Amino acid sequence: MATQHSRAAARFMISPSVLLLLGWMLIPLGMTIYFSLLRYNLLMPGEHPFVGWENYSYFLSDPAFKTALINTLLLVVGVLIITVVGGVLLGLLLDQAMWGQGIVRILVIAPFFVMPTVSALVWKNMFMNPVNGLFAYAAKFLGLQPYDFLSQAPLMSIIGIVSWQWLPFATLILLTAMQSLDQEQLEAAEMDGAGPFSRFFYITVPHLSRAVTVVILIQTIFLLSIFAEILVTTNGGPGNASTNLTYLVYAESLLRFDVGTGSAGGVVAIVLANIVAIFLMRMIGKNLDA
Amino acid sequence: MGRITLDKVTKSFGEVQVIPPLDLTIDEGEFVVFVGPSGCGKSTLLRLIAGLEDITSGQIRIDRQDATHVPPAKRGLAMVFQSYALYPHMSVRKNIAFPLKMAKMDPAERDRRVDYAAKVLNLTDYMDRRPGQLSGGQRQRVAIGRAIVREPAAFLFDEPLSNLDAALRVNMRLEISELHNTLKTTMIYVTHDQVEAMTMADKIVVLHAGRIEQVGSPLELYHTPRNTFVAGFIGSPKMNLIEGPEAEKHDAHTIGIRPEHLDTSAESGLWEGRVGVSEHLGSDTFFHVHDTGLAEMLTVRASGEVALRHGDKIFLTPQMDKLHRFDAQGLRIA
Ligand SMILES: Nc1ncnc2c1ncn2[C@@H]1O[C@H](COP(=O)(O)OP(=O)(O)OP(=O)(O)O)[C@@H](O)[C@H]1O
Ligand SMILES: [Mg+2]
Repeated sequence: MATQHSRAAARFMISPSVLLLLGWMLIPLGMTIYFSLLRYNLLMPGEHPFVGWENYSYFLSDPAFKTALINTLLLVVGVLIITVVGGVLLGLLLDQAMWGQGIVRILVIAPFFVMPTVSALVWKNMFMNPVNGLFAYAAKFLGLQPYDFLSQAPLMSIIGIVSWQWLPFATLILLTAMQSLDQEQLEAAEMDGAGPFSRFFYITVPHLSRAVTVVILIQTIFLLSIFAEILVTTNGGPGNASTNLTYLVYAESLLRFDVGTGSAGGVVAIVLANIVAIFLMRMIGKNLDA
Repeated sequence: MGRITLDKVTKSFGEVQVIPPLDLTIDEGEFVVFVGPSGCGKSTLLRLIAGLEDITSGQIRIDRQDATHVPPAKRGLAMVFQSYALYPHMSVRKNIAFPLKMAKMDPAERDRRVDYAAKVLNLTDYMDRRPGQLSGGQRQRVAIGRAIVREPAAFLFDEPLSNLDAALRVNMRLEISELHNTLKTTMIYVTHDQVEAMTMADKIVVLHAGRIEQVGSPLELYHTPRNTFVAGFIGSPKMNLIEGPEAEKHDAHTIGIRPEHLDTSAESGLWEGRVGVSEHLGSDTFFHVHDTGLAEMLTVRASGEVALRHGDKIFLTPQMDKLHRFDAQGLRIA
């Protein structure tokens, strides 16, 4: 397969799919950038004059932008912390030999297979609803005032829902990493006088660092663009207390019909995501080399 | 310091008894080698002594104190694993210092001991490397270093040399023997290689299916194997075991003769056969003799080079005073 001829043939044959993929990516990106430079509002038909950076300055100076940026970071970081810590603990638990191990493992993985819209709706209506929800019921049973999660602590509630969805992923990756830890290392540490906590912090945690970086990288990519959970639960509210960047772009372009500002927001989101990606790649690179 | 006694120790994994009741005493400062075929329970026995496995019944005493239920860290023993079990994310220095750090030893004393171990083991130039950046022999030495710094009552080695190439194995064998002479600490060493056992041990324990077949010094086992298993296991090439009429002539069920105790001749001798494969080692020649009517094949060791070709006729005469006799149960007849 490595002769000149076969390589040329291979290039020729994959070119249609490469071109298709390029078009698939470049055309929407190009159109987004193009729209972001126009005054283009669907409520004002007629001309779409070129306005340069106006949409950008409008989007970036909007107070909602700052809130959305902070919310996005809180959402990503909050979910990462919960899933990584929870994943390590669950992984430790599932790594023990116990009765019904197979079933428990499947149950733990199950949330990952539930669609985001469905799981968010289930949480909203069956757990967090202040009248009919299970939590409200439990609170009333204990004689407490039911707590309206989605209006009192909207962002925290969404972090909770998203964490619930991503916990299985983190658990699965971390569990397999734990199972790949050489038992003799733990035994050697035991002989060396390390108790269970020292063994965990000096041997298991460093062993898990790679898996944790992988979890962080993959989850960040998906968490930056959380949308469905917000749409079906809080609609970004109350106010914009649970609006993240993705939702803000949606609100601009589809709720206010402002294609120009929405596109500018999309480009800003792309730039921010790439900055995050560069940082992550640095971190990963360091961790995966060692 | 360093006297270990096993008293009717047994070990079962579920229904399967891997170690039937076993008694053994290891004296202070001794170099004891557990040897036996694969799966005979050597590692299990070592792990029982280390405390990494719970014994099913019986008692382990270390320095006359009951250690049966003492956790591994408190037994004062250090173990070197077959896979080395170094901590991959720590430098060599940190690896060696780890047990001292766990013991919360004062840093100055810790550094002193680590530097001493590094000097003894020739590791001074590698202290800041990670285990992944070391060769197999160097890793082995780090693992030994980690054991030395604790100044344990006894060292436990589980096939520490089996991952090394032949030349390095000979070297490390010498280094470990040297270390034993320097430290004079009790060492228990597990191997399935009888050459390692013969060259290093003060005392060899031959194990077979969890039972002790014989305990003794290397030469004792060589000269007076207690049964046919030990006779066949100790010595290289293996002892020739002959059953049938020839053995009955000596009032035995089985007779054994080592390859080096067979005299050869081209003209006359007690047994006649035909030469098969020859292995020329330079200093010695091993050749296989077929068609003697005694056993499938006899192995003969002749010193120097012997000009015998495949298919040549050969006469063999055993040195009668070196003949071993065994009864129907395989036990030695005195
Ligand atoms: N955890 C375990 N559960 C069940 N059986 C075991 C376990 N560990 C060892 N065994 C059995 O105990 C027997 C002795 O095993 P052990 O590891 O001590 O052998 P060994 O003499 O060290 O062999 P080798 O030279 O191949 O390392 C084997 O038959 C093995 O199958
Ligand atoms: Mg073994």
